[in-house]
Amino acid sequence: MTVAEELAVTAPRVRRPRLLRWIPMGVIALYVLVAVFGPVFVDYDPVATPLADRLLPPGSATSSGTALLGTDALGRDVFAQVVYGARTSITIAVLTVSVAALVGLTVGIVAGYTGGLVDAFLSRSVDVLLAFPGIVLAIVVAGLFDRSLAVVVLALALTGWIAFARLTRGSALSLRERDWVAAARVMGVSWRRIMTRHILPFVAGPVVALATIEFGLVVLSEAGLSFLGIGLPPSTVSWGKTIAGGRDYLATAWWISTFPGIALALLVVSVGLLGDQFNALFRGRGRAGAANTRRG
Amino acid sequence: MPHRRTTRHRLAAVAAVLPIAGLAVGCSTTSGGDGDSSAFTVASPYAVQSLDPYGSAGAAIGTQLADQAIFNRLVKADANGQLGPDLAESWTPDADATTWTFTLRQGVKFSDGSAFDAADVVSSFERFTGGKNPNAGSFTGITATAAADGTVAFDAPAPDPALPGKLTLFFVTASETPAEFPAKPVGTGPFTVANFTPGEVLEMTPNASHFDGAPKLERLVFRQIPEISSRMTALANNEIQATWGVPDDQVAGLSGNADVHVETVASTSVYTMWFNSGRESLADAAVRKALWQAVDFGTIISSLYPQTGQLSDSVLAPAVFGHAPQPPVAYDPDAAKKALEEAGFDFSKPLEIQFSGAEYRQFVEAVAADLNKVGVKAEPAEKESAVFLEDLLGMKWDINFQSLSTPSFDAATNLGRLYPCSAKRTGYCNPELDELLTKAGSTADTAERETLYAQASQIIWDDAVGMYPMQVKIAYAWRSNVQGLAASPTYLPDFSKVTLS
Repeated sequence: MTVAEELAVTAPRVRRPRLLRWIPMGVIALYVLVAVFGPVFVDYDPVATPLADRLLPPGSATSSGTALLGTDALGRDVFAQVVYGARTSITIAVLTVSVAALVGLTVGIVAGYTGGLVDAFLSRSVDVLLAFPGIVLAIVVAGLFDRSLAVVVLALALTGWIAFARLTRGSALSLRERDWVAAARVMGVSWRRIMTRHILPFVAGPVVALATIEFGLVVLSEAGLSFLGIGLPPSTVSWGKTIAGGRDYLATAWWISTFPGIALALLVVSVGLLGDQFNALFRGRGRAGAANTRRG
Repeated sequence: MPHRRTTRHRLAAVAAVLPIAGLAVGCSTTSGGDGDSSAFTVASPYAVQSLDPYGSAGAAIGTQLADQAIFNRLVKADANGQLGPDLAESWTPDADATTWTFTLRQGVKFSDGSAFDAADVVSSFERFTGGKNPNAGSFTGITATAAADGTVAFDAPAPDPALPGKLTLFFVTASETPAEFPAKPVGTGPFTVANFTPGEVLEMTPNASHFDGAPKLERLVFRQIPEISSRMTALANNEIQATWGVPDDQVAGLSGNADVHVETVASTSVYTMWFNSGRESLADAAVRKALWQAVDFGTIISSLYPQTGQLSDSVLAPAVFGHAPQPPVAYDPDAAKKALEEAGFDFSKPLEIQFSGAEYRQFVEAVAADLNKVGVKAEPAEKESAVFLEDLLGMKWDINFQSLSTPSFDAATNLGRLYPCSAKRTGYCNPELDELLTKAGSTADTAERETLYAQASQIIWDDAVGMYPMQVKIAYAWRSNVQGLAASPTYLPDFSKVTLS
C-alpha cells in the first residue's frame, strides 16, 4: 500500500468523527430547547388526573387531544411528562453543578495556592467526605427535609463539589510554582488578584470538562432520587418519578417507563460523550482535533 | 458482579436498562418455572418479619399470617365474621358480660408432643397483655385464670361484650416457650417451622399431631416478593402458586391466563380519610362535608378499583358487627364550592393529605386532583411508615388517609377505640358520641349494642369526621391446581386444608 493509497483510505475516517462530534452537542441543544420552550407549547397540569384516559397506548385520542406517547395510570400524558421532565432535570443539573463548581473551585484554589495548614485541613475534609457514597448522603439529606427542588439541589451539591475541589487544588498546586505567578508575587500583586487573574483562567478548561461529566451524573442522581420517591414534591414532574410510576405496568403499559427512560439515557450518554470531548480537548491544550490525534 | 458496582454505576445501569426492560417484558413469553411439585409456595403482600405473637410486630399482618399456621387461637372468625371454635370449644358470658368462661378442646398436643392445657392459655395471655403487641391495648385490666375443671375464665374490669371477637387477635403458645422467642417455636397449629429468614422466606412442614388432622401439603413456603410485577411473573411461571392483595390493573392481566384462578372477597377495610377537626379550617362540619362532596369518588373507584373497590355506605365494612348503612354523599362540586365559600373556608391555605404506601398513591392523587378542581389546595404527602405513624398519633396532619380494617369484626375495635374525645385521634370531640360509645362498650345485649353503634355511625358520617369513600375487596389469585384455598377477608388465608392436584 502506497502512502497515497493509505491517505485515501484514512482520510474519510478522520472526517467522519468530526461530523459525529457534533451529535452529542446537537442532542443536548435539543434537550435545552425542549426544556426552555417545550412547556410553552405543551400544556400539562401535573395535579389533574383525567381518569377516563388512563393507560392509553401511544397515539390514542384523549379527552384533551392526542397522547403521542400514551398516558400513565392516572390518565396523564407521557409526552408532556417527558417534556416537563426535561425542564426539571436540566434546571436541577444546572443549579447543582453551578453550586458544586463554585464551592469546589473556591476550596480547591484556596487549598492549592495557600498550601500548608489550610491545605491540609481542607484536603483532609475533602477526603472524609469522599469516603461517603454520594447517593446515600443525598438520600439522607433529601429525606430529612420537606420535599422541594432546593433540597434536591442541596443534597446533590453536597458531594458534587468534592471532585471540583480536588481537580482545582491539583492545578493550583502546580500553577503557583509557575514563573508568572512568582513574578506577580514579587511585584506585590495581592493574593486575591493572583488567584483570580493568574490561576483561575488556567483551571477553567478542566473545570468545564468536569462540569459536563458532573451534569450527567446529577441528572441520573436526580432521576434516581425521584425513582425512590424522595426529594421532589408531587406537583413537580420528573423522569425518575414517571419511570417509577410505570414499574408495575411494564408488561401491560410499557410506554410509561420506556419513553422517559429513553429520554434520560439519551441525555446522559450525550452529556458523557461531550464531557469526553472537552476532556480530550483540554488535555491536548486546546489544539483542535486533539481528541482524534490522541486516539491515533 | 452487580453488588460490587458503585452506586453511580448502578444508577447508570438502572437508567440504561429501564427502557430495554420495558420492551423485553412487553414482548416476553412466560416459560415454565421450576417444578418442585411437593412445595406450596405463596407470596403475601406483607412480609413476615417476626414469628413472635407477643412482640412489637405481633399485630402486623405478616406475623399473624405465620402465627396462624404455627399456633392456634381460642376462637377464630370465618369469612363473614362469624366466630367459631379453635382451641376453645365453647364460651359463655356471665349476666353482665364481665366474666367469660372458655371451655377448651380436649386431647390437643403441641408439635413437640406435650399436652395443651389451661395453664398454657393463662401464661400466653399474661405474656400477650404484658408484651409489646399493640393489640394488647384492647385488653387493659383483663385477667385470665385457669379453673380446676380445665376451663379458662377471663375477667374484665367492666362489661366487655366484644371480648370473644377481640380474642381472635390472641395466639396461644406453650407455657414452656423461653423468654427470648425461639426461631422454631412449638405450637399446636397445622404447621411447624423448618426454616425462617425474617422478611424473606418462611418454610414450614405439616404438624403430624395437629388436632384437626395433619395438612396434606408436604411443604408450605412463604416467600416475600415486594415488587408486584415480579410477583405476577412468579405466579405466571408457577414459581409461586398463590398470592393475594393483587391490584386491579394486574387482575386484568391475570384473567387471560387459564392456569390462574382469580377471586375477590370483601374485606373488613374501609378507605378512611380523617379530617383533622382540631385544625381551625376543618373544625366546621359543613366544611368537612363540602370537601367530601367535592370528590368524585364514584368515578375514581370505578376507574382505579373496578374489581376490588366499592363505594362505602358506612364507617365500617358490612361484615363488621355494628355496621349500619348511611345515605350516600353525592358528588356535587358546585354545591361544595358554594358551601365552602359560605363557611368562609380559606382557599389559599394548602391541605396536606398524608398517606403511607405506594399502593395508595394513585387514589390519593386523584382525590387531591378533584379537590383542586374546586379551588382547594390539596397536596398528597407520602410518608415513610414510621414517620407517618408518628405524625398520625401526634395529630400533625390536615387530612389523613388509611385503609382501616376491623380484624375483630366488631365495631368496638374501631369506633370505640378511635372516636371518643379521650382517644385524641381525629381532633373531633362530641359528648353525645362519647356517651353512645361508652354505653355500647359496656352493654351485654347484642341488639342494643347494634342500635347504639348504628347511632354512633350516623353521627360520625353526618359530621364527616372523615371521608369514608370505599369498601375494599381483596383479590386472590392462585394456580388452578390448588384446591381447598379460601379467600380470607383479613389477608390471612388458611392453608391447612389446601391440596395440590
